[in-house]
Amino acid sequence: MKLISISRLTIAAFVICASVSLVCASETLRIGAINPYSGPLALYGDEVARGYEIAIDEANAKGGVVGRKIELVRGDASSPPQGIAAVEKMAGQDDVEVFVGTYISAVSNAASDAALRYSRVYWDTNALAGDLTERGLPNFIRSGPYANSFAEISATATRDLLAPALEKDIKSTKVWIEHEDSIFGTSIAELQKQLLEKMGAQVVGIGAHNYRAIDLTDSILRAKAAGPDVWIETGYVPDGSLLLRTMRDQGFKPAAIMMVATGDTYETFDALGSDFLQGITVVGYPRADQTEVYGPGSAAYLAAYKTKYNREPIAPQSMTAFVGMQMLLEAIAGAGGTDMEKLRATAAKMDKPSSSYATGFGVKFDEKFQNTRAFPTVVQWQAGKVVTVFPKSAAQPQVKLVNLPRQ
Amino acid sequence: METFLNILISGILLGGIYSLVSIGLNLIFGVVRIVNFAQGEFVMLAMYATYFCTMHLGINPYLAALLVASLMFVFGLAVQRAVLQPLQTEPMMQIFATFGLLILLENSMLAVTRGEAFSLSGAYSSVVINLFGLKASGVRVVVFIAATAIAAALMLFLQRTMPGKAIRAVIQDRQAARLMGINVERAYLLTFALGTALAGIAGALLAPIYTLSPYIGGNFILAAFAVVVLGGLGSVPGAYIGGLIVGLIESFSGYYVDPALKQAIWFVIFVAVLIIKPSGLMGQVGAEEVGLREQS
Repeated sequence: MKLISISRLTIAAFVICASVSLVCASETLRIGAINPYSGPLALYGDEVARGYEIAIDEANAKGGVVGRKIELVRGDASSPPQGIAAVEKMAGQDDVEVFVGTYISAVSNAASDAALRYSRVYWDTNALAGDLTERGLPNFIRSGPYANSFAEISATATRDLLAPALEKDIKSTKVWIEHEDSIFGTSIAELQKQLLEKMGAQVVGIGAHNYRAIDLTDSILRAKAAGPDVWIETGYVPDGSLLLRTMRDQGFKPAAIMMVATGDTYETFDALGSDFLQGITVVGYPRADQTEVYGPGSAAYLAAYKTKYNREPIAPQSMTAFVGMQMLLEAIAGAGGTDMEKLRATAAKMDKPSSSYATGFGVKFDEKFQNTRAFPTVVQWQAGKVVTVFPKSAAQPQVKLVNLPRQ
Repeated sequence: METFLNILISGILLGGIYSLVSIGLNLIFGVVRIVNFAQGEFVMLAMYATYFCTMHLGINPYLAALLVASLMFVFGLAVQRAVLQPLQTEPMMQIFATFGLLILLENSMLAVTRGEAFSLSGAYSSVVINLFGLKASGVRVVVFIAATAIAAALMLFLQRTMPGKAIRAVIQDRQAARLMGINVERAYLLTFALGTALAGIAGALLAPIYTLSPYIGGNFILAAFAVVVLGGLGSVPGAYIGGLIVGLIESFSGYYVDPALKQAIWFVIFVAVLIIKPSGLMGQVGAEEVGLREQS
């Protein structure tokens, strides 16, 4: 009899424990954030995750989503195999229901593929490679801008911002396109050429370089010989800085310089200094200094960031991640949970005009689930700081372009 | 004509960078017979040390070069004594050990910097020498002068001093050198430390030119190995001339052919030299084989 009681008690205890753990599991919605949190890109991986954390804090303060508190689980991945391993661990052991990411496109590619095997949505906020959405993966949704958006904005800004500042018509504007020679830089440069030529600009040359090159004097001398009005460069921080230094050393002074995707952080500032950078424009992720009309909530985001991390944002990627997480949580609320099919169906119906979020993004996904209302902005270095200057509605009214044409 | 001369100057100055990085590597390669994969990381380490000295201790980077080179000399002694000497009878293991060192140094710096890029800011890095319309970066001119001075000093050291003569004897035939009473292990120790100190000087002088990242050593090492093989194993003038040749080829092919193809072009020439003259342009005939025969 005593033996039976003990058995019953044991079973009862087991059932209670199991129920409690089920309740706990169902109460907390765990979102896996795949990013590089160690290695050379950890700085940006951490920054992206900070954006997620601020959005989650905001949602949790309002009671969470579909009645559940949200928890961010970090999955460290700097390479595709690490991305796959992180997804498998998080989906298999950590009860992660949906994934977000990723600062590195190659990791996003592999990790989203792995997430599909667990029927989990991979909501990408920060990867740029065009082919991620071209794959048509049924679990992949991208809320942020991508490589083509950067190419489009750089071409539009050349026509609508730089050419007028140089008192030129786009048809009489000579442009040199410089890019690092991997698929990232090449794909953006090809689209830039296509768009600029369509607008009537004179593309006087395209230069490709290896981003790990020791010397880029040849690239600068080639561009200098072509005599462009606008010099556009797509690459990474080290090669971008080396190009600008060489440009300075060789006395190459195009009337306008536009960097694409990098060149707006203190790393570039440390390398070149305030005087040389004065007037250089950068196409990058939207920044918190833009107008509230263009990016409603950007000031509040900046305040939340400063309060939580006690410093200015390291890089603008975090605000794009913040908005991406907001969109994901809205989609989960609309779908009533994280079921892949329902989430995808809800995302397909999302329709908000531009300037609905702090980044100035709206939301409307195309058939490949690329957000068609997410674009970078253009900033300009002014007295050692970067200031949003384009689109005009994003620039603060008191902001004026400086040092164009460059002296 | 002005463009041609500008390319010529930029090629010579780039050659100075390659020479500076390659001389230490060549010395180690020629004497200790180790393919030191970590040499680029030694340069990287010295760049960060210079950054620290300049930005945090307020020392001018060119003065910091002396301090950094001294520290790197001691570091080189420690690496040779603690890591490489115990593996002296296992040449393959020595190579793996230097590869391990590469990963260790790279990842340690990653852990310290979290991948953040650093640059030395200062007026000296933006000095441009302008002579009749021909432009040269001041910091690169300094590198070229330093490479030339180091090559000359090292040649004098190897020709005129007893330790230098001992090193040359080991380059030519280590077994005969040992029979003549030369302490081969001490020659190894001195050479490796000297090679590491030269990487220290290179790192210090290159720090004002580049944006520092933990992976920057890898950018130099590929070219440096090509320079070493092109110039000739163990030959200091070979490394110097080889560096200049690679610099000029890269500069001219980058401008007149395609910047994306410049590395491919100098590697074609590198392979051609290997086939036609395996000992390199100024190396001792047969020197490339000695290391495989005897290690003890």
